[in-house]
Amino acid sequence: MVGANTLRLYLTCIRNTLDAAMCAASAVCHLQNFPCQEVERHNKPEVELKTSPELLLNPVLICRNEAEKCLIETSINSLRISLKVKQADELENILTKKFLRFLSMRAEAFQVLRRKPVQGYDISFLITNYHCEEMQKHKLIDFIVQFMEDIDKEISELKMSEHTRQAGGYRVS
Amino acid sequence: MAEDHVEADNAEAIIARIEHKSRKIESLLKQYRPVEALKTALEGSPPNTRDERCKSANWIMVHRAIMAIKDVDGMFSSLDPEYYDILMKYLYRGLSTGDRPTCDQCLRIHEKLTERAGLGCILRSLADTVNTV
Repeated sequence: MVGANTLRLYLTCIRNTLDAAMCAASAVCHLQNFPCQEVERHNKPEVELKTSPELLLNPVLICRNEAEKCLIETSINSLRISLKVKQADELENILTKKFLRFLSMRAEAFQVLRRKPVQGYDISFLITNYHCEEMQKHKLIDFIVQFMEDIDKEISELKMSEHTRQAGGYRVS
Repeated sequence: MAEDHVEADNAEAIIARIEHKSRKIESLLKQYRPVEALKTALEGSPPNTRDERCKSANWIMVHRAIMAIKDVDGMFSSLDPEYYDILMKYLYRGLSTGDRPTCDQCLRIHEKLTERAGLGCILRSLADTVNTV
């Protein structure tokens, strides 16, 4: 099944990139503890503030196709992940919004949800050094990749059952 | 001002070189030697120019070669590791286009390249903000 294979490759690419991005940010962090150069004592997430270009790594945009993509922005102390999910028709649009709302609540439990998604995307996560343990960061990546797999599966299933329901309606009458 | 002038001259020279390369690549592709074509496209990539036209011109060639690869595993048996880092950078460029066939191909190669080259290869393309494609 071609669709299933591209999804797998897409998620693998995202996971590998996130793993590397976390290393990149950590490696530099372990070499030098980077407090915010402007504000003493507070570590503001550089990926949001973009106050110093030398603290930003190359942003990476991974597109599965024209409609689905993942933007990964890395800095010395933070990682921002934004997702645009497939919404090919009105039904997918409605289902996506419902599902995103449901999963957003779970993301809030991890405290990684960015209140507003980055412009052009459906949802954004912000991982900072407050999520300081390595294990916790890897759990977050697992969560995000699983999240994407779930959205895709859930929308396909809901769509299929919706079509079945409608078809059933016509048959009865 | 003078620097811009020198940069422009260099850009013209670079683009001329790229056009010369592209003829070689087309010839290799006609001979069903896509890996050779890819190596040629990746060689002498002008990453330390800021000129977007040079970068785009080289990308077009690399893209052509990437899309011609049918056997990804086979490709790695003849692609030297010295090409891994530059290829990774171009894969991300391909992934950013949103063009379905390009993304499919780049995702396929990205998985195998990461298996071969490791996360360090990805890390270097994220961290190298100077030599970009």
